[in-house]
Amino acid sequence: MAGSEISINRPGASDGGILAALEPDQLTGAKHQRLPRRRLKGSEILLLWSLRVYLLFMIGVVVYQVWTSSR
Amino acid sequence: MNTPENNPLPMMADGIASAADSQLLFTHEDLERAEDRSRVVAARAESGLFSRFRLLWLLIGPGILVMLGENDGPSMINYAATGARFGVGFFIPFIILTFVMAVVVQEMTVRLGAATHRGHAELIFSRFGPFWGWFSLIDLAVGNFLTLIAEFIAIRAGLAFFGVPAWVAIPGAVLVLFLAVLSHRYWTWERITLAFAAVNLVFVPLALAAKPDWNSVGRALVTWGPLPGGITSAALLIILSNIGATVTPWMIFFQQSATVDKGLTRRDIRFGRIDTLLGATLAAGAAIAVVLVTAPLMHLRMSVENFQAAEFANALEPVIGHVGAALFSLGMIEAGLVAAITISASTAYAFGEVARKPHSLNLRMKEGRPFYSVLCLCVVAAAAVVLIPGLPLVYVVLMVNVVAVLAMPPALLFLYMLANDQEIMGDLVSPRWANMLAAGVVVLLIGAGLLFGVSVLAPGVFASWAHP
Repeated sequence: MAGSEISINRPGASDGGILAALEPDQLTGAKHQRLPRRRLKGSEILLLWSLRVYLLFMIGVVVYQVWTSSR
Repeated sequence: MNTPENNPLPMMADGIASAADSQLLFTHEDLERAEDRSRVVAARAESGLFSRFRLLWLLIGPGILVMLGENDGPSMINYAATGARFGVGFFIPFIILTFVMAVVVQEMTVRLGAATHRGHAELIFSRFGPFWGWFSLIDLAVGNFLTLIAEFIAIRAGLAFFGVPAWVAIPGAVLVLFLAVLSHRYWTWERITLAFAAVNLVFVPLALAAKPDWNSVGRALVTWGPLPGGITSAALLIILSNIGATVTPWMIFFQQSATVDKGLTRRDIRFGRIDTLLGATLAAGAAIAVVLVTAPLMHLRMSVENFQAAEFANALEPVIGHVGAALFSLGMIEAGLVAAITISASTAYAFGEVARKPHSLNLRMKEGRPFYSVLCLCVVAAAAVVLIPGLPLVYVVLMVNVVAVLAMPPALLFLYMLANDQEIMGDLVSPRWANMLAAGVVVLLIGAGLLFGVSVLAPGVFASWAHP
C-alpha cells in the first residue's frame, strides 16, 4: 500500500515520543497486513443474496416510478 | 492502550507496547495523527472539569459531522416539503424516530473503527471477500454520486435567492470544497467542516421566528398525528424520504473511516458515542425546525419539485421576512456544501481502502494523489452534471433519499455482521440489546421499502386508506 509515493521513515529520537501516542495497529505500516477472510455461513449467504435481490427489485420500482411520473 | 487480551487483531498479538517501541515503518500521515493523539493523551492525564471538556472537544467530530452532513441539501428540501405538505403533526415525532435509528446504526461504526482501526470498505473486502465487497462499493459509489448531484442543486437553489447564477454558484462551491481539503490535515479539515456545519442550526431561530403553534407540536409528539390525507402514496414517499434523510449507507462508511483517520481508540468509544448523540440531537433539532418553518406554506401545496430554484425561500418571505428567507437560503447552501465535503470524503476513503492506496486527510498531496484525485473527480463530475442545461434533475432530488433507504438493508447487514465478528471486535462485539435495535431498524427499513413498492405498483391499495 505504501508504495514508492510515500515517504517512509523509521522512528528517530525526535519522533519516538510523539509516536508513543499511537497504538501499533494505528500505524500505516501495520495496516499493510490484511485481516483474514471469514467463512460465511449458508444462512448468511442466503440473507445477503435475498437483500441483493430486494435491492435490485426495488431499484426497478424506482425506475418505473420515475418513468411513469415523467410521462 | 490496547492489550493483547482485549484486542484480538494480529498486530496486538505481538505484544508490542506502543508504536514508538516497534520497528514498524511510519509515514507523514502517522506523525500528523500521533500529534493529534498526543493532545488527547495529555488532556486525559489531567483531572478536573475543564480537562474533561477539553478531551470532549478533542474527540468530537465524526459523529457531529456525519449527522449534520446528513442534514444535507435533499434532506432539508425534503423536510421543507414535509412541512409545506403535511404541516405540524405525524412527521415531528417521526423525524425523532429516524434520528434514534441513525444513532443505533452509527454507534456500531464508532466501535468498529476504534476496535479495528480499519475503514468499513476495507473490512467488508477483507472479511467477506471482493465479490460482496464490490457490491457494497458500487452501492456506495452510485448513491454518493446521485447525492452529490442533489447537493449541488441545493447550493444552486440557495445561491439563486441572492441572485448568484448557477455558473458562478457551482464552481464557487467546488472551490470552497477544495480549500477545505488543501490543509492536508484531518484535524484542520474536521474543524473547518464543523464550522460550516454549525450554520445548519440557523433553521432553529427561523422556526421560532415563524411562531409555530406549540400546542400542535406538543399534541403531535404525544399522538403522532395528524397525518393530513391519511396514508397515501404521497405520504409514503415522504415517509421513505424522511428515513433516507437520516439513515444512509454513506454515513456508515464515512463515520468509520473518519473515526480511523482521527485515530480514536477503544478508550475513546464513550466520547465517540457522545459525539454521535450530540450530532443526532443537533441535526434532529434543525430538521424539525425546517418542518416548523415551512408548515405555514401548507395552503400553497408546494413540494420537492418546487426546489429547482429559490421558490421555498421566496414563498417564506411573507412568513419570516426577507432576512429570514435569506438565512433559510444560507442554511440550504450550507447543507449542500457540508454534505458535498463529507460525502466526497466517504467515496475517496472507500476507494483508497479497497484499492489499498493511502487514504487519509493527513496525507500530503504528493503522497495521497489517488485519494485526492477520487475526491476531486467525483465532486467535479457531479458539479458538471448540474451545469448541463435541460437535464430533468428534479427526479434525482425526488428519489435520492428513497434510493438511500432501499440500499440500507444490505449495508446494515454487513455492518451487523462486522459488529458481531468476535475475531476482529474481541470484547466490543455488539451486545444483545444493540443487535435487537439494529434488527428492528432493518425490519422497519424493509417494511417501509415494500410499502413504497406496493404504493407504486398497486396505487389503488392505498386509495381506501386515504381520508379527505
